[in-house]
Amino acid sequence: MAMSRSEIKEKLNDVMRMATPSSEVDFDSLPETATLTSDVGLSSVGILYVVIAIEEFFGIRFDDVGFADFKTIGDVIDYIGKKMEE
Amino acid sequence: MNEKFAKYTDALTFSRIVDFENVAEMWQHSVKEYTDDVAIVDGAEYTYGALDTAVSAFRSVYRKAGVTPGSLVAILCPNSVGFVKAFLAAATYALPAVLLPAHLDAMTVFGIAYKFGLKAIVYDGALADKVAEVRAKLPGVALIDSSATQEELTPAISVPKQTPCVFIFTGGTTGKSKAARLSHGAVMAGTRNGCYGIREIFGQRYLLVLPLTHVFGLIRNLMTSLYTGSAMFICRNNKDMFRDIAVFKPTILVLVPALAEMALNLSRQFGRNMLGADMKTIICGAAPVAPYLVKEYDKLGITLLPGYGLTESANLVSGNPEALRKPESVGLIYDGMDYKVVDGELWLRGINMMDGYATAEDNATTYEDGYFKTGDLVRIDEEGFLYITGRLKEIIVLSTGENVSPAELEVKFYALEVVQDCLVYDVNENGREQLVLEVLPRMSSVKALGIENLYEYLKGEVGKINDTLPPFERINKIIIRDTDFVRTPAMKIARNLNGNVKK
Repeated sequence: MAMSRSEIKEKLNDVMRMATPSSEVDFDSLPETATLTSDVGLSSVGILYVVIAIEEFFGIRFDDVGFADFKTIGDVIDYIGKKMEE
Repeated sequence: MNEKFAKYTDALTFSRIVDFENVAEMWQHSVKEYTDDVAIVDGAEYTYGALDTAVSAFRSVYRKAGVTPGSLVAILCPNSVGFVKAFLAAATYALPAVLLPAHLDAMTVFGIAYKFGLKAIVYDGALADKVAEVRAKLPGVALIDSSATQEELTPAISVPKQTPCVFIFTGGTTGKSKAARLSHGAVMAGTRNGCYGIREIFGQRYLLVLPLTHVFGLIRNLMTSLYTGSAMFICRNNKDMFRDIAVFKPTILVLVPALAEMALNLSRQFGRNMLGADMKTIICGAAPVAPYLVKEYDKLGITLLPGYGLTESANLVSGNPEALRKPESVGLIYDGMDYKVVDGELWLRGINMMDGYATAEDNATTYEDGYFKTGDLVRIDEEGFLYITGRLKEIIVLSTGENVSPAELEVKFYALEVVQDCLVYDVNENGREQLVLEVLPRMSSVKALGIENLYEYLKGEVGKINDTLPPFERINKIIIRDTDFVRTPAMKIARNLNGNVKK
């Protein structure tokens, strides 16, 4: 099922919110250029959580690409969009 | 031995928990008893019999590479059947093995090879670049691809229990990493101790997610699995652990608390038990286990058992078979462990203890009267249950000369349901010493308890705890984190790392 970029971001926001339950970040206003570690504040466990939850939510599989290869939220949205088209 | 654990299982199971002199003796026993049962699943299934043939062939690989019994080898492989084969072949051929974490770079691998005088390194093909420096500069070190094999089989060698078996690097949570030298007797004591306190321990299904280069992964996961005729499914990538669980349906997981909490949160997010209906037991350790985890997993019908161990003690010092009744304890100390408590610090000696660190200078302040000084402050209750109350090395010495154990204070705050993780440390602000409590809140509990202002709530709860403390131990300042603490590769909080303390 095709999803628009904003729909992907909305769902990704849900995942990141749950991966960082203590965060006060306003994910809805976070730009796509925001970085995953400094701006979102994902730890090693948080990153693992996000990867697992993205695969579950979007029904995709990360290839051998490491999540550490992604710098920004936009990078992740690009990847999810590409994988969903495959 | 360990009769105090007898009541936690049936008599037949308890009678099957026996001592072995060395890894070869244990392995031969398991191969004989469980020949056709699955030992390892890593893409393909390997029965105990098939794995034994591969291990015997790998002993020939060592022999043909000129690696004679008594030589030191290293294993540089990710979690894989290749690791298991190389390790078992080394341990059953009198070759002490240095376990190299897969994240090391080529220069570090070279440094270790040089310093330890390694005779060989077994490496995974995907990590070939990490042995490049050794290949270029140390021609005397045999480099063996973990997929190598030989037609010819070489028999196992049985060694006295004092013989060195493995070198494992410590996590270096509060300092530099050191290599602990563990004998066959230590490895077998740790392996056997892993069997106590669990009702059904033989013929189980394990999922391996912790690194095999970590003592918890090697001893409590791999070795206890092989000892008990269990099957161990190797999760190659932790992101796939729940998918692997759905396929393999494991009954036991060995986890650090951060992963146990993550699994719990994912189960909540997706509205189902992500660990599957077959999961019965989680062995949890390597970091403080919050009582909250014990209680929440009990609701899912899963027994979460906290324990205490060190790399230096071949992992297991104590295990808690009564976690629901005493969730703050790390359990009963296993027999065969000689211990004493000196000024609150736990000192240990016995067959399960390391023979020392690989580097002489690291041993200088480690021992006294033949005991290993753990640096952990403890208390033992009237029923013999052990509690960790602090870390000696982390003691804060105030300008007044009074000592504060941050871990001892943190235990008190961990008892608050809203505290997922915390750190206590001291700061000097405008010439005034202050004790700071930094909290990573558990937001699910904050919501469940209907807390609107978390800071005010914490202030009230911390105030109540402060009232029970002497004035110099009272918390002056509370900081609520919105990001996780920086953690070590084993996912423990790295206490002294920048980023964990907001000064």
